[in-house]
Amino acid sequence: MLTLYRFLLRFYPSAHQDCFSEEMAAVYRQAQMETAKKGLAAQIRFHFREVTGLLRGALQEHVLEFSMRRFAMRTEFRFPKSTAVLMMIILAGVVLAIEKGKAIQASLPAANPSIGPIQPAQHTFLPVIAMVFLFFYAAGLIGWAILFALRRSGTHRLAEIASEQQ
Amino acid sequence: MESFPLTEPVLLILLSLAGQPRHGYSILKDVEKMSDGRVVLSTGTLYGALRRLLDGDWIERLDEKNSTRGRQAYRLTSRGRKNLQFEVGRLKHLTHLASLRAVTKEA
Repeated sequence: MLTLYRFLLRFYPSAHQDCFSEEMAAVYRQAQMETAKKGLAAQIRFHFREVTGLLRGALQEHVLEFSMRRFAMRTEFRFPKSTAVLMMIILAGVVLAIEKGKAIQASLPAANPSIGPIQPAQHTFLPVIAMVFLFFYAAGLIGWAILFALRRSGTHRLAEIASEQQ
Repeated sequence: MESFPLTEPVLLILLSLAGQPRHGYSILKDVEKMSDGRVVLSTGTLYGALRRLLDGDWIERLDEKNSTRGRQAYRLTSRGRKNLQFEVGRLKHLTHLASLRAVTKEA
């Protein structure tokens, strides 16, 4: 039965096995020796209790380990609990501001005439972003080309050659 | 980690360790004795509870010079003792209330 017991211990998560399996087997052995004196019925009850206890325990440990792993957060990503409160306050403020804006808009329909959706022809933001991107891309390309040309021509070595000759 | 109210096996394990540090087998026998044979723990139940109590810092392993991996002693921490006292106080209050109500009903 001890072999079966040790086999069932393998159903536990490895961390639990490392920590408790030897100890559990030793306690089981002691309890088994004592139960052996009490007759067959007591032994059957004992083994049934142990097997069901082990299987239930292993299942509970796996569920616990899974939930710990699922909700564990890496240390560098953890933030204090006060952050959650502050974020909730900020969210409440944003929602409140939106609602207030809607109320003002509804109270002054003449000052805020409804306008249709913005057409692609009216977009001004994207071309500007594209122009800035192209400008910096071209500047970077020119800078890299100058450096590459200097390196290929060996001009940067002239100073070294001059100093060696001196 | 354990939460209140404690289950009967966990309460009995804590009560067993309240008197003195004990090994796993000694806890099993003491729990059985305290409950007059009503609560008989399996090793799976015992070590599941011990692991949770260790994680919650309610108990700790006793560093014994001659201890082996198969024979570890456990004892209550100050936190565990405080929590046990809290639970005993809660049960006392509940028992007192129950006895008062029962007497009122009978009268």
